[in-house]
Formats: sequence, C-alpha cells, structure tokens
Amino acid sequence: MRIEHLSLQNFRNYARLEISLPEGPILLHGANAQGKTSLLEAIYYLATSRSPYTTSDRQLINWNADQDLLPFAKIGAEVVTTSRALNRIEITLTEANGGLNGARLNKEIRVNGVSRRVMDLIGQINVVMFLPQDMALIEGAPAERRRYMNVTLCQTDAEYCQALATFDKVLTQRNALLRRIADSDGSPDELAFWDDQLTESGAVLVAGRQRLLRELEVKARQIHRDLSGNEEDLELCYQPGFMPTANNTGQLSFDVLGLDLNRQLDAGAIAGQFRERLGETVGEEIARGMTLIGPQRDELRLLFNGHDLGLYGSRGQTRTAVMALKLAELEWMRDVVGEWPILLLDEVIAELDAARRAYLLDRIDGANQVLLTTTEPEIFTAEFLQRATRWEVRQGQIVTVSPASS
Amino acid sequence: MSKAVPQSVTQLIEAFSRLPGVGPKTASRLTYYLLRAPDEMTQTLAAALVDLKTKTRYCSVCFNITEDDPCPICADSGRDATQVVVVEEPLDVLAVERTGAYQGRYHVLHGAISPVEGIGPEDLKIRELVERVQKEGVLEVIVATNPGMEGDATAMYLQRQLAPTGVKTTRLARGLPTGGDLEYVDSITLLRALQGRHEI
Ligand SMILES: [Zn+2]
Repeated sequence: MRIEHLSLQNFRNYARLEISLPEGPILLHGANAQGKTSLLEAIYYLATSRSPYTTSDRQLINWNADQDLLPFAKIGAEVVTTSRALNRIEITLTEANGGLNGARLNKEIRVNGVSRRVMDLIGQINVVMFLPQDMALIEGAPAERRRYMNVTLCQTDAEYCQALATFDKVLTQRNALLRRIADSDGSPDELAFWDDQLTESGAVLVAGRQRLLRELEVKARQIHRDLSGNEEDLELCYQPGFMPTANNTGQLSFDVLGLDLNRQLDAGAIAGQFRERLGETVGEEIARGMTLIGPQRDELRLLFNGHDLGLYGSRGQTRTAVMALKLAELEWMRDVVGEWPILLLDEVIAELDAARRAYLLDRIDGANQVLLTTTEPEIFTAEFLQRATRWEVRQGQIVTVSPASS
Repeated sequence: MSKAVPQSVTQLIEAFSRLPGVGPKTASRLTYYLLRAPDEMTQTLAAALVDLKTKTRYCSVCFNITEDDPCPICADSGRDATQVVVVEEPLDVLAVERTGAYQGRYHVLHGAISPVEGIGPEDLKIRELVERVQKEGVLEVIVATNPGMEGDATAMYLQRQLAPTGVKTTRLARGLPTGGDLEYVDSITLLRALQGRHEI
C-alpha cells in the first residue's frame, strides 16, 4: 500500500502543498518546526481521523491562512493498494458558526468523492507510526495502551471499530444515567437498554483485544529475542476491566497475571460474564455515579522475564520492548491486511544505536512506502541514502535534494 | 459593535445570530436586507413570528403542534384511531404523511431518551401515550423513533411500558440509514420501513 499523491491546504505550516510520493523510503530532513513531522501527521490523520500529536483538530488548521474566509484545512491523498484500485481520500475541517453554541469545527470525510463516516474511513489507509513518544506505551497511563489497541484493531477490523463507537457512546450515556439515578432524576429500570448495549459492544472489544494480543505476543517475543540477543522472554499481559472467565472468584488477585491469551473467549460468553459482573456492581455504580467495570478499565502490561517493565524496566529495556511491539504490530497488520501498511517513522532512528538501526531498516525493507524524518541524514548508511528519496523541508515547502537512484 | 450602528439594528443582528446555522455575517446581511425592504414585508414577518407562538399549541391528544385542538389529524374521523405511529418530533409526522400510505394517527414524544442531554422518559410524552392506549382502544403502536442509539433506547423503554396494556407494539424496519434523522429520509425508504415494521 502506498500514497501516490498528497494535497494539503492550510494544514499546520503548509499553506498549500501538492506532491507526488514515490515508492520506497522517503527521507524528510531539515531543521525543526519546518513541517517534516506535519507531513507524517497528515498521512496518519487520513488513516485514523486523529492526530498522533494533539486531541484538538483545531490545532491542525493554519490560522494565518486566508483571512477573508472562515478558517479551514483540507487534507487529501490518492492511495494505491495492491489488491484494490486507486482511492481518493479527503478530509476537510471547517470552522463553522453554530448559532447559540458558538464556534464549531466541522469534519467532512470523503472517499472517492462520497461523504463518509469516520468508521468508513478507517481501514482505507493502513499506517504504522513509530514515534519517540511510543515510550509512553510502557511508561504512560493505561489509557495510552487502550488507545494503542483501539487504533491498531480499528484499522483492520470494521466490527471492532463499530463496537468501539457504540461502546464509547453507551458508556457516556450510561454514566449520565447513573448520575441521574443518584440524584433521583432517573430510575434503575431505565438501565436495561444501556446495559444490553454496553455488554454486547464491550464484549466485542475484549474478544478483539485478546485475539490481537495473542497474535502480537508471538511476533513481539521473537523480535525481542533478536534485539536483545538472548532467550529472555517478553510477555504481553492482558488484564481486562472485569474477568471474563466463568470462574466467578471475583477480584483479580495480584498473583493472577491476566487473561490466558491462549484460551480465546467468544464475544457471547464474555457478554454474559460482563452482564453478571455489572449486576453485582450496579449498587456501587449508582452511589458513585459511574460505570465501574468494563473494557474502559482494561490494562495491558509488558513483562520482561516476568517483571513488569512499566514498574521495573530500565530506559534501555523499555526502548527495546517498545521497538519489538511496534515491529510486531507492523508485521501483524501486514499479515492481517495482506499487504504492507505505510510506515511513518518520526525521529526514531536517531535514538537507536547502529545495530538496532540496521535491524529496523532491514526489518521494514519490504514495505512499499516508508516516510522517515530526521535532523541528521548523515546517520544513515550511504547504501540507504542511495535508494531513498531525499526531501528537504523548509518553512512548509519541499525541496527535492535527490530522487531515489534505482 | 460600534456606536455608529443604531441600537435597533444591533438588536436584530444579535437576535438573528442566536438562530442555529446563522453566523454574525449572515445576521448582518439579513438585517440590512430587511432595513431596505418594503414595510409590508417586515410587518408580515413580524406578525408571522408573533402568531407562531401565540396561535400554536400542543394537540391535547397527540401532542403535535397545532392551531386547533384537537389537531386536524386527530379530528379526522376518516383516520384509523386504532393505529398510532409514535415519533420523536412534529417534523417526523410530516415525513410519514408524505408517504401517503398511512391512515392511522400519531403521537409526538418531543424528543428521545438521552441521559447526557438530561432527557429521561418523564421528559417525553410517554405517560400520555400509555394513558391514550389504555383509554382509546388503540390496537397497534408503531414506534417510529429515529434509527440511532437514543431512538433505540426510547423504543425499548416504550415497549416495556406498553407491554402490560397488551397492545401490539411494532417498530419501523431497519434499512433506514443509521444516525440519520427521519425528517431527511426520502419517502420510498420510509415507506418500505413502514411496511416492514416488526413486533418488539
Ligand atoms: Zn392530534
């Protein structure tokens, strides 16, 4: 899979950019804050409808642009896959007046000219992104790891993506209803509908995450062995927000390391357990005005020789584990989709020693398209620079330094 | 706004700006347009605005917006009083009427259950519907709430409230675009959904 053409209008520091992207590695270099990263961000945004750097879409708009018009940004790409024909994908962000509600940002998604929902967009472009901030996958809050699982699964599994949208919406409604019940504005018999929806969609999330982690673990473990040069084991430990196995012992004790990834549960069985646990907790949920169990509280731990890397891992061990996880994700996505996703590497190469750098570049050698940013192109080997297309990014403009000499 | 603009002008601009979908630019344009328009036009508009609130009320039977109580549909003895289509908004009544295929009556809930927006069953005309079913010999309630999560929540709640009355309760068939509003659905799609309704 690769992007053939990218158009940006008022996106970050690009007032206007029309550029054709070649196959193979594209090395973007230049000083900081010139727009290298924004180019990767634009591609990631087209794939997932989210920025990896900000939760506010408003920040993506170049506000210095045309003062006469309402602020807007447009991001578009032509994507070619090996199996499917060329697809045109376009997202337009427009600042709109919402009357009483004040300013509002409209997001319009078009696939081949037809207006689509976010859910229909995701999966059109498959990307895997490597960022220095990926360290947060191990060191950060549990929400980071749930987001990681969601973004990965949504790109490949439409049912998961649909269930996630439903789950998020139901959770918000159910929490609001629990608060209303606590304030005596509502009654517990109004919960039935939301409980049905919550347990059904939540079960799809748990089943999807269990499957993903089982498959990722196999790949990540092998890559981790290659990287660390020994037989020590990396484990992915999935701790669901409620225990979906029917042992009914209640609490997850400290010596239980999580759900057995090799015994895949089906969504129906999980939903039943979820519902039962929900029934046991509803009194406390009303008292606290929020949903207390479910996949919104799932946790994923990375274990190295049985030790929790988030708690005991050194910087170096953490970095190695993150790299193993990301490479495993890349190969997993390639296997599931049936072709290489587009790879986006933002400044990660510089952090690696020469051996790791070589390993990484070798491992991604088969990808159709790889975009890398760097401030120091000299760290790459002459051989790599030879086959890469080199672009210098200067104040939202791209200057071709050298095309790939293949 | 600058002192160069008279108060009566700013007042109208601000009033227009509060309407959904109208920004300050459009509000100004409308205001200056009306300023130059013939007196007759502004007077007709002003009168229409006053009538809108003074002459309309809810129909005491179906809670649709009406000038006469009961509304023309509830007053029409030619319409089947044993069938009631339940909708979220008055505009949805128009949408079903446009199919030309429905000869029963309506019940307007004035919204859908949405705890986030602070709308619970008691904020909707649900109790009134149950009373109506008990008193007026209704044989079938056709739930035509919007095909989305809030519409589904409302439909399920209605079904549970209506179950003890023994009335047949059906729901519009799927095939309606999810997330869409009934008022924007074309007549053919809606007609099919109406024909394919099922018991809930
Ligand atoms: Zn009426």
